[in-house]
Amino acid sequence: MSASSRILGASGRKTLSRAVQYFLLTLMSIYILVPIVILIFGSLKTRGQMYSHPYTPPIPPYWDNYIKILTSSIFWTMLKNSLIVTLAVTVAVLVICSLAAFVFARLDFRGKDLAFNFFTLGLMFPITIAILPVYLVIRQMSLTNSLLGIILVQTAFQLSGNILILRNFFASVPLELQDAAYIDGCTPFDFFRLILLPLARPALSAVASLTMVVSWNDLLVPLVLIDKETLWTLPLGTMQFQGQYGTDLALVAAFVSLSAVPAVIFYILAERHIVSGLTAGALKG
Amino acid sequence: MSHKLFRLFSLVMIAVLLLTACAPAATQTQQPAASEPTQPPAAEPTKPPAQEPTKPPAAEKKVVINWWHISTAEEHKALWQTFADEYMAAHPNVDIQITVLENEAFKSKMTTVMQSGTPPDIFQSWGGGVMIEYAKAGLLRDITPELDANGGEWRNTFSPGALGVYAFEGRNYGVPWDMGMVGFWYNKALFAQAGIEKPPATWTELLDAVKKLKAAGITPIALGAGDKWPAMFWWAYLAVRLGGKDAFEAAYSRQGSFTDAPFVEAGKKLLELIALEPFQDGYLGATYGDQATLMGNGKAAMELMGQWAPAVQKDNSADKQGIGDNLGWFPFPMVEGGKGDPDDAFGGGNGFAIGKNAPPEAIDFVKYLTSVDCQVRLAKINVALPVVKGGEAGVSDPLLLMVQQGAAKAKYFQLYYDQALPPAVGSVVNDSVQGLFAGTLTPEEVAQAIEDSAAQELK
Amino acid sequence: MGVSMNRNGEGALPFRSTARSQHTLTVVLFLLPTFVLFIVFVVYPVLQSFYYSMFNWKGFGPAVDFVGLDNFKRILTDKAFMKAVGNTLNIVVLSLFIQLPLSLGLALMVGRDLPGKRFFRTIFFVPYVFSEVITAIMWMGLFNPDPDRGLINALIVLMGGKPQPWLGSPQMVMGCIFVVLTWKYFGFHMLLYMAGLQNIPREIEEAALIDGCSTGQMISYVTLPLLWGTIRTSIYLSVLGALQQFGLIWVMTKGGPVNASEVMSTYMYRYSFIRFWLGYGSAVAIVILLISLAFSIAYLRLVRQQDYLGGVS
Repeated sequence: MSASSRILGASGRKTLSRAVQYFLLTLMSIYILVPIVILIFGSLKTRGQMYSHPYTPPIPPYWDNYIKILTSSIFWTMLKNSLIVTLAVTVAVLVICSLAAFVFARLDFRGKDLAFNFFTLGLMFPITIAILPVYLVIRQMSLTNSLLGIILVQTAFQLSGNILILRNFFASVPLELQDAAYIDGCTPFDFFRLILLPLARPALSAVASLTMVVSWNDLLVPLVLIDKETLWTLPLGTMQFQGQYGTDLALVAAFVSLSAVPAVIFYILAERHIVSGLTAGALKG
Repeated sequence: MSHKLFRLFSLVMIAVLLLTACAPAATQTQQPAASEPTQPPAAEPTKPPAQEPTKPPAAEKKVVINWWHISTAEEHKALWQTFADEYMAAHPNVDIQITVLENEAFKSKMTTVMQSGTPPDIFQSWGGGVMIEYAKAGLLRDITPELDANGGEWRNTFSPGALGVYAFEGRNYGVPWDMGMVGFWYNKALFAQAGIEKPPATWTELLDAVKKLKAAGITPIALGAGDKWPAMFWWAYLAVRLGGKDAFEAAYSRQGSFTDAPFVEAGKKLLELIALEPFQDGYLGATYGDQATLMGNGKAAMELMGQWAPAVQKDNSADKQGIGDNLGWFPFPMVEGGKGDPDDAFGGGNGFAIGKNAPPEAIDFVKYLTSVDCQVRLAKINVALPVVKGGEAGVSDPLLLMVQQGAAKAKYFQLYYDQALPPAVGSVVNDSVQGLFAGTLTPEEVAQAIEDSAAQELK
Repeated sequence: MGVSMNRNGEGALPFRSTARSQHTLTVVLFLLPTFVLFIVFVVYPVLQSFYYSMFNWKGFGPAVDFVGLDNFKRILTDKAFMKAVGNTLNIVVLSLFIQLPLSLGLALMVGRDLPGKRFFRTIFFVPYVFSEVITAIMWMGLFNPDPDRGLINALIVLMGGKPQPWLGSPQMVMGCIFVVLTWKYFGFHMLLYMAGLQNIPREIEEAALIDGCSTGQMISYVTLPLLWGTIRTSIYLSVLGALQQFGLIWVMTKGGPVNASEVMSTYMYRYSFIRFWLGYGSAVAIVILLISLAFSIAYLRLVRQQDYLGGVS
């Protein structure tokens, strides 16, 4: 096979594979988008239309659901509370998990495997059962009806998975970088802070996105810990439109669509870092 | 330099975490034992200074009442708030703090606070089994003395059947504010279209009506069996008709059993109906919302449901009107050979239970909530069927009046099985009746499953 | 290729002796916050549940009716629980063999240089942003058996088919649930893979292509081995996630019709919070924990062994 024909063949294959890829991605997009589009359609309907014709396009759109939510002060209060909790949890998880993940990925000590297994326990226990003891602890700390209580609990339950993810990424940073750093007189901490963290930006951004979403959507912890409406987070807000026997699905749809917006924006911001990638030069140290 | 700062920061953070976390760690060992009476008073005093720096101690100490309700519907929620505001205006020393929760959320949250031994002062209750569990655990306040004060002044305002739902061993731990019964809501136009002249009065007539409706190409019955409790109504009502008061009371008191003839027979009768395939497609996975939507949009001829059905049908219809004047109501038909009385009613309602630490003001406030005036105003917005004599003045809908009178004249009022029985048994009733509908359990197996659970729970 | 031999970061350089005490201090301080939060909010609840699992306890007042291991005995002989275990394993297997390859394939497509990748990347992650409850409600609408209300049946009728009961059918319900689980969670794994791909230098892949590899060969001989660390994290999280699966299923079917979609967590919830058998429910939670733990230990041991033998990772 001559060099030129190989290149031709490759580009032909490339076009074909592009076509196949776009076909698959489009199929996947339909699968992903249909429920979301219907949700948005629903949010632009009256309650009755939502029940009788849930999937037809809303013509003309009925904006009252959005207006009703955006003009209620409680929505903005809940948005603020949710932002505080989510940002605090995300920062706490990033700091605490990267410290721990660094130790597990890069340092050796006795009982390391045991400690690591111990920290994965959080992935194995259903929070629905854990919530009672957790509530008792939080009450003893006088942290019921405070956002700090939610932040502590959510952070604790996000540690296991994220330590695992970060450890893996830290471990994949080439060792010679570490060696070079030590030769240059760095302490392990310097290495962590000056070299590892910047290099792990994609992983840290991924962890931030995943953490943020879980915290943003968590219903159980705020439900159990908070009584006051002024401290509600957004997931508790959907309750406003749910009745004992009926649910105003159109309003819920509008509320949920609005609640998802900040999370999607946050993801779009984080995504840039996730895929910004390492330049090959950085890897060579 | 900056990395030293960073290190310092981590250290401080760690220290803070450690401090906040150590306090509970030191005391947590006493948790299981301490969750009973002594705890709340001990926990309370430490709370305000830590939690509410914005509120300096007021000149006079206000009595705080915590009230949790689940009436999320806008009008209803607003009316409860109005009642609270009125009461606070009349009693400036009282501060009523309302927490409005959605039904499922309420149940989750209740589980936690009840386990931790700190019930709210006033909270939504359906009476029966769950309330009895709370009462047995000493989590509720006995309000019998208040009911009986002044020669039973407050007690006598209630219809006795409704009040009894909130009693256990003769003591009341709560009061009702709504009570109704289950019956058939049917579409008169669709019945006429199928050539059914009058609502069925017997089980056989009901089966005939179903056949006629099917022949006319109409879905005879809407059912949300995925939610389980709407399906349970069918089996339970058949048991009420077949066995009457005696069968249930015998089984409940353990003189008899849930494997007695009426309970098995109920399953067999139900199979006769199921064999006609009278329900909409996919009803096994459908919710109650689906059921109401079918009715509200005129796509099914009837449903077996409680007093809230018309309101929910309207909510779930395109024009918010439901099927309007085409809606009719008839009681559950008599079953041939049944030992029950045709007037026996199966149903339930809503009420408020009183938490163990409730101040006397809380009970006084509940007394206000169940006053004739408040009951009439509740009934006027169609969210409750009054339980207090004179309250029916607020009921304007003739169908709801029929339901209210039906419940009032019943000699034997059977509370919903899933609420009358202990929660474990109630859940088994719901689960196994669903099995009957799905064809995975026989009538005998359903009865046996319920009996097994009852044998364990009703000692 | 220096990178491939160094991907396993377990054996770091020995520290110089002067750094010894600093090293210990680092380990202790870095793990401390995790440790404290863990003890308080995870370990303590686990111990608490273990305690209650040995009682016949309704959840109110002190637990007094000690029954030893009876609850566990009952769980392991309950047919409904065995059904739940079977359904859970179904989800695990389907996740591993359908959901993860799908996520990986998509990550390979949109994590590289395909024009328009940003658009796809963004929408693929959106389902993960919705909560389980909302996801469940959205899909219940689509699965509605009434063709006038459920889009899926509407399309089937439009194409001349017969409407299906979906969630109302004991045979179809697990399949439906899996479609929804995949919808919600593949974005999570795709994100992990995308982040993992960033650690693979493009030059290595390009070199492989220049050496005459096809794209497929390049992926299977170069990209996937280099991504193995991420894949194994993803497998691990996927299995543990599947073992805990609760919210979506509870809202959509409550485990029904008649246990057809019961999984371990819905079973636990039913007993703990619907039947008020909190002692028994705690025992179920402990069983779930033990199953997860057994998997975890076996899995970590297995991949560890592979690391030593294969030397790929």
